[in-house]
Amino acid sequence: MNTKKKGRWLANLLNSEKYSSFTVSVLAIILTLITASVLLLLMGKNPLVAFRSFLQGCGFLPKANYGGGSGMLSDLTDFLNYLAPMLLAALAFIVGFKAGLFNIGIAGQMLLSGFVATIVIGYNKNLPAGVAKPLVLIIGIVVGGLAGALIGFLKYKFNIHEVVSTIMVNYIISYLTGFFINNKFVDMLTRTSRVCAPAARLTLTNIQIGGVNCKIPFGILIAIIMAIVVQFIFDRTAFGFELKAVGQNKNCAKYIGVSVGKSLVASMAFSGILAGLAGVTYYLGYTNTIIPKTLVGMGYDSIAVALLGNSSPVGSIFAAIVVTVFQQGANYMSSAVGVAKEIASLITGILLLYASCGGYMKGLARGVIQKDLDREAEAKRAASHKEDAGQGKEGER
Amino acid sequence: MEDYIVEMRHITKRFPGIVANDDVSIGIRRGEVYALLGENGAGKSTLMSMLFGMYEPDRGEILIDGKKVVFHSSNDATAHNIGMVHQHFKLVDNYTIAENIVLGSEPMTKMFGFLPSVDMKKANREIAELSKTYGLEVNPTDRIEDVPVSVRQRVEILKMLYRKADIMIFDEPTAVLTPQEIEFLLQIIDGLRKAGKTIILITHKIEEIKKIADRCAILYRGRLVDVLDVRTTSVQDMANMMVGRAVDFNPHKSEPDYRGTVLKVDHMTVKNENHFEVVKDVSFEVRSGEIFAIAGVSGNGQTEIADAITGMLKIDSGTVTLGGRDITHLTIRERAVEGVSYIPEDRHGTGVVMDFTLRDNLALRQYYRDPFSRHGILNFDKFQSYSETLIDRYDIRSGQGPKTIIRSMSGGNQQKAIIGREIEEHSKLIIFVQPTRGLDIGAIEKVHRQILDERDRGAAILLISLELDEVMELADTIGVIYNGQLLKIAPASTMTSHDVGRYMMGVKEA
Repeated sequence: MNTKKKGRWLANLLNSEKYSSFTVSVLAIILTLITASVLLLLMGKNPLVAFRSFLQGCGFLPKANYGGGSGMLSDLTDFLNYLAPMLLAALAFIVGFKAGLFNIGIAGQMLLSGFVATIVIGYNKNLPAGVAKPLVLIIGIVVGGLAGALIGFLKYKFNIHEVVSTIMVNYIISYLTGFFINNKFVDMLTRTSRVCAPAARLTLTNIQIGGVNCKIPFGILIAIIMAIVVQFIFDRTAFGFELKAVGQNKNCAKYIGVSVGKSLVASMAFSGILAGLAGVTYYLGYTNTIIPKTLVGMGYDSIAVALLGNSSPVGSIFAAIVVTVFQQGANYMSSAVGVAKEIASLITGILLLYASCGGYMKGLARGVIQKDLDREAEAKRAASHKEDAGQGKEGER
Repeated sequence: MEDYIVEMRHITKRFPGIVANDDVSIGIRRGEVYALLGENGAGKSTLMSMLFGMYEPDRGEILIDGKKVVFHSSNDATAHNIGMVHQHFKLVDNYTIAENIVLGSEPMTKMFGFLPSVDMKKANREIAELSKTYGLEVNPTDRIEDVPVSVRQRVEILKMLYRKADIMIFDEPTAVLTPQEIEFLLQIIDGLRKAGKTIILITHKIEEIKKIADRCAILYRGRLVDVLDVRTTSVQDMANMMVGRAVDFNPHKSEPDYRGTVLKVDHMTVKNENHFEVVKDVSFEVRSGEIFAIAGVSGNGQTEIADAITGMLKIDSGTVTLGGRDITHLTIRERAVEGVSYIPEDRHGTGVVMDFTLRDNLALRQYYRDPFSRHGILNFDKFQSYSETLIDRYDIRSGQGPKTIIRSMSGGNQQKAIIGREIEEHSKLIIFVQPTRGLDIGAIEKVHRQILDERDRGAAILLISLELDEVMELADTIGVIYNGQLLKIAPASTMTSHDVGRYMMGVKEA
């Protein structure tokens, strides 16, 4: 009886209108941790130690020892430095997704805006920081927005599915920028693009706080502001209302007079703007250089973040933290526990899998509740039957 | 004990938020036509879907020939010789009739003596025979996309016969047919009964039951009300039982009072996406206070007329004038603001956003303008109060009021929401396309009342309906469409339903 009660309690939480978006995600995380634990145990490692070292790597828990000049705070600011583009990329996905578009070109849009900002501003040694940094952001917005709008335009004008066009455009961007980097902007030693001027970089490095070396990523501020802005647009504005209508029923949107074509272009442009911001915070913040012909995995990780956050902009802040812990903490975990750091991507994949089962989990919960109600109704009916029978006997007497 | 071929005992089936069937028990005798009558959402289709194995009941049991059965899929039902013609036909458009019929149980042969392949010759031959035996004329080698709806229905019936079905379920079979075709279908059903088949007929049209059925079970909100002998029960009694109250069959229609032309369609031609002319050189006028009904068999261009007037489809040539203003080249929204309301045919696909709340769906015509939004920021207080007003005024029933997701509401209430939203615009022209499709008698009565009220208010009404009864009952003027052309426009009082039916088949001189 007790276990049944507990099952019911969990089912109620999963099925409740208010909390389900939250509880389903939490359950997905728990299931992921369990699955990952099994994997780690199979490899002969202690999962608890592994999970602790993920957190240690991100500056949430103290490591056993630190190198000269670094400490917990350095790890934490590193973590925030990576979190910023991750969150922005997830927001980019969410904006497209709400309007019914599956933007998997985020990595390409990031790369293009990062590349343009790097060669236009990053290699310009004469600009003061106060001019260079805002210009980098503006380039991210404009280039990302245009790259996104192109996808929307192709869909609207020629009915090319966005998944197809973004994959193709990803390749084009990757090889085109790779070509220019290898020919003009390459650092002969590292084989990546030459580093940007510090004035253009959106992350301040080598800042001493409390005696340790820290970074100050401006990107994280931008990302959180954008999360709130996106949430506001979808919750409170006529523009967001239209995008959601287009996303859920194009015919109906057309019928009520929304220009569906314009909405498609607008939402892809908006998605591209956020991807562009993710790009500049990644390539001119987290890294300071571009590896030619390489699309970052973050473009796809962001889809996991968006799904785990139930496509809610503010919810994805928390989802981004979870995914980033695995991605960013993987290096330290790898050296501390001795598991290849690729397990981080594996865990993200498992997380994506469970997160996308959200609807199924809700359905299961509903079934459990219904069965319980049935059982209660049955019990009641049986009880009232007994009463009737009892009364009948009394009457006979 | 009676000899029941099918028995369903204490069947209960729940869906999230509703009880579709609540402790329903029915018994069907061998060789009878058994009708299931009920309003939309009364649980008729759900009950039969369980007999056909598409759902499993939450509680209760099904007996075929006195033996208990459990169906996990429709294959199990087919194995027990049960067949079903669904409301929406389940056919592959670019397959031939014979291919559709044998699909899933193809006669096999060995090509070159060893390669297994479908023996289409045998299939064609068998189907030709079957169609002759039961008077269901079809040409086995025609493609489905080339044949009319009535033939497609025959294909569905042949599909059941080919699978040796003894128990045949028809789900609203007459909804898509003309009066002449309905007559023919009822004959076919009668023939099947004579051949020893047991027929279950799901419908909300009482006249048909009166014509063909032996017994009739009435469902009301998921519960079985009564099982009647059709011969001894009056139409009025059945209707009252089905709706749960007294029904007024004839809405009191006042004399028309025309007040000047509102809509003028002049030599309008519309092409579909394949550049095929679906509306050809159509001209007509609708006056204020007039109901102009376009009658016709489905797919003859009537919905395209509505889409062209509202702007959903581009007009290829000709003009559309509203209240003296040329609206041919205005956008959809400009036309709506100018005074065009539209109740579209496809309720789910066009009329609402299924996963939006009732509140948001009711605001779809208003959300972008003051006071619903100011400077692009939505004013949800106004959304809320407006939806409460409409819910009250149009008696829209839902589980949780304004915040109900519209998907979870019944078809009738979804339609009430759409009609309320559109009427509330107080437009000069209101276009109704199939406004009562899938609704029950009670809801139909209300919709008809609303249409008449709007006409009396002075709106011009363009009614496009496949239901001839509806056209005859409401129209002041009738235009009959065939193959994209208006063959005949005449005052309703000068035409009988038989005349209209003939024009619908393309006969020019009645």
